Amino acid sequence: MASGDFLDLSKLPQRSTVASQRWSSLMTIVLVVCSLISVLTTLGIIAMLVYEASGFFANDQIRLSRFFTDTKWTVGQTQGEIHYGILPLLSGTLRITAIAMLIALPLGVITAVYLSEFASKRVRSILKPALEVLAGIPTVVLGYFAMVFITPYVLQPLGDFKTFNAAAAGIAVGILCLPLVTSLAEDALRAVPRSLREGALGLGATRFETTVKVVLPAALSGIIAAFLLALARAIGETMVVALAAGSTPTWTLDPRLQSQTMAGYIVNTFQSESVVPGSLSYYSIYSVAAVLFVITFGITVLGQYIRRRFREVYN
Amino acid sequence: MAISNTLNRTRSVGSRKSFDRGFQIICLLVASLAIVILVMLVTAILFKGGGWLSWGFLVNSHRENLPEQSGVGQAIIGSLVVCLICGLAAMPIGIATAVFLEEYQPLSRLGRLLHGFIQLNVSNLAGVPSIVYGILGVTAFVYMFGWFGQIQANKPPPVEMGASYFYQTKTLGKKWVQFPASDRTKQVFVIESSLSAFNESGQPIELNVIDRSATAPTEPELRDRTVYAGATASILATKRPWYFHLPFSKSVLSAGLTLALVILPIVIIAAQEAIRAVPSSLREAAYGLGANKWQVVSTTVLPSALPGIMTGAILAMSRAIGEAAPLLAVMGGVISTTNSLGNLMDKSPVLPVTIYRWAQDENPAFENLAAAAIIVLLVFLLLMNSIAILVRNRAERKYA
Amino acid sequence: MNLRCWLALSVALSFCSFLGCDRGGVASKPVPAEKPSVAIGGGGAAPASSLSGKVDIQGSSTVEPISIKAKELFNAVHPKVEFSVSGQGTSNGFEALSKRECDICDASRSIKKEELERSKANSTQFIELPIAYDGLTVVVNKGNDWVKQLTVEQLKQIFREDFAVKTWKDIDASWPDQKISIYAPGIKSGTHDYFVEVIGKRDGKKLRSDEQTTLSEDDKQLAIGVKGDKYAIGFFGYSYYEAAKSELTAIAIVNPKSGEAVLPSPQSIETNNYAPLSRPLFWYINSESLQRAEVREFVDFAFENISKVVTEAGYVPLPSSVYSAVQAHIEKGLNGPHFFDTEGKERHGPLNETYVEANLVK
Repeated sequence: MASGDFLDLSKLPQRSTVASQRWSSLMTIVLVVCSLISVLTTLGIIAMLVYEASGFFANDQIRLSRFFTDTKWTVGQTQGEIHYGILPLLSGTLRITAIAMLIALPLGVITAVYLSEFASKRVRSILKPALEVLAGIPTVVLGYFAMVFITPYVLQPLGDFKTFNAAAAGIAVGILCLPLVTSLAEDALRAVPRSLREGALGLGATRFETTVKVVLPAALSGIIAAFLLALARAIGETMVVALAAGSTPTWTLDPRLQSQTMAGYIVNTFQSESVVPGSLSYYSIYSVAAVLFVITFGITVLGQYIRRRFREVYN
Repeated sequence: MAISNTLNRTRSVGSRKSFDRGFQIICLLVASLAIVILVMLVTAILFKGGGWLSWGFLVNSHRENLPEQSGVGQAIIGSLVVCLICGLAAMPIGIATAVFLEEYQPLSRLGRLLHGFIQLNVSNLAGVPSIVYGILGVTAFVYMFGWFGQIQANKPPPVEMGASYFYQTKTLGKKWVQFPASDRTKQVFVIESSLSAFNESGQPIELNVIDRSATAPTEPELRDRTVYAGATASILATKRPWYFHLPFSKSVLSAGLTLALVILPIVIIAAQEAIRAVPSSLREAAYGLGANKWQVVSTTVLPSALPGIMTGAILAMSRAIGEAAPLLAVMGGVISTTNSLGNLMDKSPVLPVTIYRWAQDENPAFENLAAAAIIVLLVFLLLMNSIAILVRNRAERKYA
Repeated sequence: MNLRCWLALSVALSFCSFLGCDRGGVASKPVPAEKPSVAIGGGGAAPASSLSGKVDIQGSSTVEPISIKAKELFNAVHPKVEFSVSGQGTSNGFEALSKRECDICDASRSIKKEELERSKANSTQFIELPIAYDGLTVVVNKGNDWVKQLTVEQLKQIFREDFAVKTWKDIDASWPDQKISIYAPGIKSGTHDYFVEVIGKRDGKKLRSDEQTTLSEDDKQLAIGVKGDKYAIGFFGYSYYEAAKSELTAIAIVNPKSGEAVLPSPQSIETNNYAPLSRPLFWYINSESLQRAEVREFVDFAFENISKVVTEAGYVPLPSSVYSAVQAHIEKGLNGPHFFDTEGKERHGPLNETYVEANLVK
């Protein structure tokens, strides 16, 4: 270890004076205050969502039960009778997230298996940077790719896909989550002690059998955590759906039609409304955001919890 | 043991080996899919947008329905300014939080609870969708919870700093002159008598006021500074670079602060890992020499963790430069402004929002321009990542 | 992760993108960017005007191209004046105007009674200025070869909420048995209001909003939607059809008076032959804002060059008698609406007859 590079003894005070002690206590307070800002952010989000969403439900026209059961969402689209069931938005989110997970999860886990069990150093030096680059691509770019490339050249030759459809958005979100699943799953696989692998190999198992029957089950909770965290990312994804998935909520399972997710609805409304504080559309943004926040926050908390529990088991 | 049970099933060694081979090949194919997708993405973007890149593209700003004359000049400046504000806000707070979480392990029960709570909070905030941060930004920065009222046309903002007010009027020679205003709430000023003003080049002149019934002067120099009595002059605000008002409303300041909230968890986690990597022997040596907590942190831990923190910060900023959703909420879909950014309260287009707007334009040429803008954005990202890696490599060399 | 790897990638990316210049294909080689020459006022190197200020225009996405064109021409002469133009719908524009949050409201229909009441309640005064003619264009996909013309009755069947036919075959048995995809402006759009007035107001019916319908205040989104869907139909202002002419087909509408099917064009719109979908577009200006030098100068400039502004934006200029009336209104500062009478009933008729000082309701 290079000495003297960053531990310059002449710069270090010889002893702790009273003044520097007071300064130290002051800085402790400053640090605590700064740390509380992150807590303030969470509290701020929760407080704001609760306060404004309650404004939505305080309106005479709105009843809480209909919010969760009605299968049409027409806020901001019709005058007169307004449907405010969140189910179409939920179904849109579900459709896109399901397609995304169908792509990201198997591909991600298998890639992680390859990276941790089989890959040579050369392959790793190509694959890991590629995944890092893929992870760093902004979401607008992927949304553009979905709209301009996936829909016309990949999907429409296959069938009757509309200009804005859920499948293209789902594929793009899957590509987005792929690096995340891969890196988290790889972490989980690497955490499995070598002794387990060596034991299986010593008993005559092939690499395939070792992986599938020993390592994967051992890393299962880590992989579940990876799945949950990627799921939260997919649910909250905004720009890809805003560009490629369309702006009409539909209550159907058909991936060829357009669909609007909760996050997509929020962005579309910000764009098409001069957001007038106090109008029904304004409040609807907050109530949808509240549902979105509860879902993603819940999944993230669960995923982090499983990840931490899993890490403790092996340490 | 499960292993021996499953292995006792009779299957020829050969078939198991070929299965193993097949599995490895499948894994390799799947893993290379990531590379294939990446190559497809980059090729498609280059194909669509490559032909539209030029020096003019980098300097011009958006012209409606004139794709050949549009460019990302304003968007690049806007992105840089917003990222700068974001970094200046997020870094100190993020590093401070990380220092607190890593160095100040409390002993009391309450302290440990607080500590654990903050740590939990940070890990979970990283998973919140960026649009929710956008909504928070709108409520907290744009409208400021309504504490300062709303900004209306034809009225000055409730709290303001750095603006000087003038009245402007048109003279007989069709030139515009300005003179200072004493009451900024009065929108219109009726000119009755002569006063000193400034002409179009900014030179002081004496305004000549004549009666409506009188004959108008004929020399151009006099006409250029003559008005009829009773002419109205309307209010105008000139803003200095440090112009500032409350509430922030849609501005690059609100955008930068909102983005700071988005990347704050990332900065904290990255800084934490960098601080954790500092060997404890360094700390113990400093303590051993009699330094107190803050001295240890400021003279030993932070300087040695700095390269790692910088790397993490740059990577967080490269995330921020590509975020569109919170900016759409906070600044709106701004695609061009008449004048370039003059102060922090102006709106400005930024690269990701410009890409989004262009991708949605019905003029098909703008779709290609969006691809060209994406190339510019990706080049920026590559540059930032390269700098981060450079910093990291230099730090690693130090440790080696 | 190798630094060399990253640097190589950056160089390769930049290199490839300039290589892409030759691989044209979809992208045509662009003309090198030139500064736009000062088109108004006979050119010549005049010193830059020091007129400054800010003008905020909100409202109809149909009228937005006119405002943007006027702004661009105006900025060539007065570069220091800042503009903020947005097109989120006529209703949103009127809302902002009544709250005095904008200076000019772009409107693709005249003001409604409720909006008038709201402005009065907020003590907001405005001046109503017609600015151009528009022919609301009904478009279908380029691959649609079965629709040659549509009658108003057929429009009702497609677009109204009570008929709401599901497939093309339901309208005409010789047409394909495929679901119709509808792309229409949303409820905040003046185009929406005008269309509903034509096809449904008398029966009190509104535009459909079901799973086959996409509503958006952004006309560009509608154009993209129809462009990509063979069985789609949509409608928006003529200027948006003009901009995407190569990719969309306009449908001739049967004029109920003459029985002839007429395609929208500047001539047919001006003579009102393209009926009943020809309509006037408006600017509503906050009277308080009009006292500001930059706003007044902008409005004067726009109307001095109105033909150029309107035609370059893709719409049709009004008859000159109407424009003279507009100038008179600005000069005299005549606030108020023209299209209601004193009892609050609506006034209809050709513009040069209804837009007169006598019809002002103060």
